[in-house]
Amino acid sequence: MIFQEDMTIQRKLEILSDAAKYDVACTSSGVDRKGNGSGMGNSLACGICHTFSADGRCISLLKILFTNECIFDCKYCINRSSNDIVRASFTPQEVCELTMEFYRRNYIEGLFLSSGILVSPNHTMELLLQTLVLLREKHHFNGYIHCKAIPGADPVLIEMLGWYADRMSVNLELPTADSLRELAPHKKRKNILKPIRQIQLRRENEKEYLGLPNKQILLGKSDIIDSDMKEVISANTSLQLYQSTPKMKRRFVPAGQSTQMIIGATKESDYQIMSVAEALYKNFNLKRVFFSAFMNVNQDNRLPSTEEGPPLLREHRLYQADWLIRFYGFQTKELLSEEKPYFNVLLDPKCDWALRHLEMFPVEVNKADYYTLLKVPGIGTNSVRKIMMARKNASLDFADLKRMGVVLKRAVYFITCKGRMMYPMRLDEDTITRQLLSDKKQLPHGVDQSITYKQLTLFDDFNLNFNVN
Amino acid sequence: MKVQRIYLCENSIEGIFTAIYQAWSSRYGHANIKIQEKNDMGLYSNFELFSEYFMVETDLTLVTKVSRSIKEKISDEAYQMVYRVGISNYKGKADLIYRFLIFGFSVGPKILGHLSNEIVGQIYKINRYVSNEVHHMHGFIRFSEQENRILVSVIHPKNNILALIAPHFADRLPEERFIIIDGNRKIAVLHLPGKSWVLIGLPNYSEASYYQYSSKEEEYQDLWKAFFENIAIKERTNFNLQRNNLPLRFRKDMTEFQS
Ligand code: SF4
Repeated sequence: MIFQEDMTIQRKLEILSDAAKYDVACTSSGVDRKGNGSGMGNSLACGICHTFSADGRCISLLKILFTNECIFDCKYCINRSSNDIVRASFTPQEVCELTMEFYRRNYIEGLFLSSGILVSPNHTMELLLQTLVLLREKHHFNGYIHCKAIPGADPVLIEMLGWYADRMSVNLELPTADSLRELAPHKKRKNILKPIRQIQLRRENEKEYLGLPNKQILLGKSDIIDSDMKEVISANTSLQLYQSTPKMKRRFVPAGQSTQMIIGATKESDYQIMSVAEALYKNFNLKRVFFSAFMNVNQDNRLPSTEEGPPLLREHRLYQADWLIRFYGFQTKELLSEEKPYFNVLLDPKCDWALRHLEMFPVEVNKADYYTLLKVPGIGTNSVRKIMMARKNASLDFADLKRMGVVLKRAVYFITCKGRMMYPMRLDEDTITRQLLSDKKQLPHGVDQSITYKQLTLFDDFNLNFNVN
Repeated sequence: MKVQRIYLCENSIEGIFTAIYQAWSSRYGHANIKIQEKNDMGLYSNFELFSEYFMVETDLTLVTKVSRSIKEKISDEAYQMVYRVGISNYKGKADLIYRFLIFGFSVGPKILGHLSNEIVGQIYKINRYVSNEVHHMHGFIRFSEQENRILVSVIHPKNNILALIAPHFADRLPEERFIIIDGNRKIAVLHLPGKSWVLIGLPNYSEASYYQYSSKEEEYQDLWKAFFENIAIKERTNFNLQRNNLPLRFRKDMTEFQS
C-alpha cells in the first residue's frame, strides 16, 4: 500500500472531496443543539446551506472520504481496488484541522465523513472513530457530524461511533440483494442491514436520548418486505454491548440514520425502489433514503452507459414520491403497482395520482379535512396549514388561496371554493392532462425548458437520458 | 373633507413607533393620516400635494409605550412580526404597520389568523422575506481571519438584519472575537468571548481597512475553494439551479466566488 506521506493537504483534499461527491447528505431534519458556551458549534434542526456548487446542489458539510484506498471492488465505484488511480488518506488530525478552520469561517455546518475500506472494515472504523473522538473531546467541536458506518465492522465500533456522530448512514447501495451480488461482490445485503438495525434498536432503547420526534407521517405498516429484511429484523440482536450508557452528555445518533441507493445501474423498477424505501422507513425507522442517479464513472461496459447524462429526471420523480410518502400520507402501492411500475415522466407523481382518481375531486376547500387537502395537486403542507387556520375566520376564495401559496395553475381542476369551480371546465383526464402539461414547472429546475413534448415521450423508462443545461 | 396629514419619521422601529403614537393620539382620524418613513438615502420618497406634513422626532418613551401595548393587547408574536417589517426594506412599511396595529388593537391576538386580510397577508409576506434573508445569511456569511485572530465578515443585506443574525453566531462561536459589518449601513455587530454581542456604528467604515489577513488565512481560503470546485459533479452541472438557490447578489461577499 502506498501512503502518500509527502502529499500536501491541498492535494489530499482535492482527491478526497472529489471521491466523496456522489454521497448525498443533508443537515435538515437534524437536531437542535444550542452552543454550550465553550468550544465551538451548535446545530439547527432546519439545516443550513452554506453555498451551492456548480451542479446546483447544496453544500452544507465538509464532505470527504477519510481515504480512497479500498480493498473492495464494487463495479460502480471510482475507488474500486481494480482501478489505477491516485490514492490518498487523511490523518485524523488533518480532518480535525480542516473541520475546525472551515467551521470558524462559516464555510460549513459540520463534517460528513465517509471512507473507502483501508486494510479491513475494523481498521477503517477505528480511524473514523479516532477522528470523531478527537474532534469532540480535544477540539470541543459541537457542530454537526454525519459519519458512515462500515458494514462488516465490529458492532462495538459502530456503537461507539454512534455516541459521537449526529447522523450515521450505511449505504444500501442497490435496491435488491441480486443487484448487490452482481455489482458489489464483496458486500452482502444482510451485512448492510445489520448495522442499520443495530443503530435503530440502540436509538429506540435510549428513548430519552432520541432526537426530534419524527415529523414524517407514515401511514400503515409496510407489507412489502423482503426476506433479508425479515431475517435481520427477527434476529436476536444483543444490545448488551455496553451495560451502562457511556458517561457522555451526548445522545446516540440524535439525527437518526439515512441510507442511499444508486438509481439506474440495475434493472429494478421505480415500484421496486419505492417499495424498498418505504420498507426502510417503516421497519428501520430511517430519517432519509437518498437516491443517486447512476454515473458510469469507470466507463465499465458491463453497466449502462451514461454518456448522455445520468438519469436525473428519474431521480427527481423518486424524490417527489419519497416526499409524498413521508409527509403526505401516500403509500407506494397507491402511486405504483406491478402493472404500472414506473412514474410518469411528464407529470409529478401527485398530479399523476390525482388524474387517475378524478372520482375523488373536486374537493371543497372550506370543508375538506387535512389529508384530503394534502392530496390536491398544487397544495403543499404549508398551504394546507394556512388554509385550515384562515378558514376559521373567513370563507376562502381563489384569490385567498393564491396568497397562501397555492399553485392555482395546478389546483383549479381539483377544488371548489364556496361550491364553485374557478371557471367552468371539462373534468376529464385528457383535458386536464393537456392543461397540466402546458405548465413547464412539471419539469425540474434546469431541465431545458425548450424541451418538446415529442422529445420527452421518446425517453425510455429504463434509461432516461436528457441533457441539462 | 379634512386635509390629509402625513407624519414623516426616521427609518427605524423607533421612528415608526413614535410616529404611530403621535398620529394615534392626534385623534385626527386614521383615514386622514399617513405615516411615511425616510428611505435608505435618508430622504422621503414622494411629496403629495394638498397634505399637511409633520416631522416626527424620535422619542424613546413613546416607543416603549407602543411596544408595550402591542405585546399586551395583541401578542408577543405580533410584536416580533411588526419588528421584522420595521427592519425590512419594504417601502411604505411605516403606514403598513400603522394599519396593521389599528386592526390588531381592535381584534387582539386573533389578528394573526386573519390570513385572508390583505394587510395581515402583506405583513406575513414581508416576514417571510426578512426571515429568508436571515436564514440565507446564517449560511452565506464568510469570516476571514485577521492578524490578531479576529474574524471579520462584511455583508450587504437588503434588510437591516444584523441584530437578527448576531445571536446565531454568538451561540455558535462563543470563544471567538468576531465582527460582522453591514457594508451599506455602516454598522456592525461585535462579539468578544464571554460577553454578549453589541451593535455599533462604523461611520468611517471603508472596505480596505479590514483586510489584514493572518498568515494562515489565504491557505484556508484556497483549501475551501479547492473543495468547492471538486465537490461539484461535472455531469450534473446546472448553473440555473445554482443561481436559483444562491442568487448572484450574495456572491461578492463569499470567499468561494472571489478570485
Ligand atoms: S467499498 Fe465503498 S469505496 Fe470500496 S469500492 Fe465499494 S463502494 Fe467503493
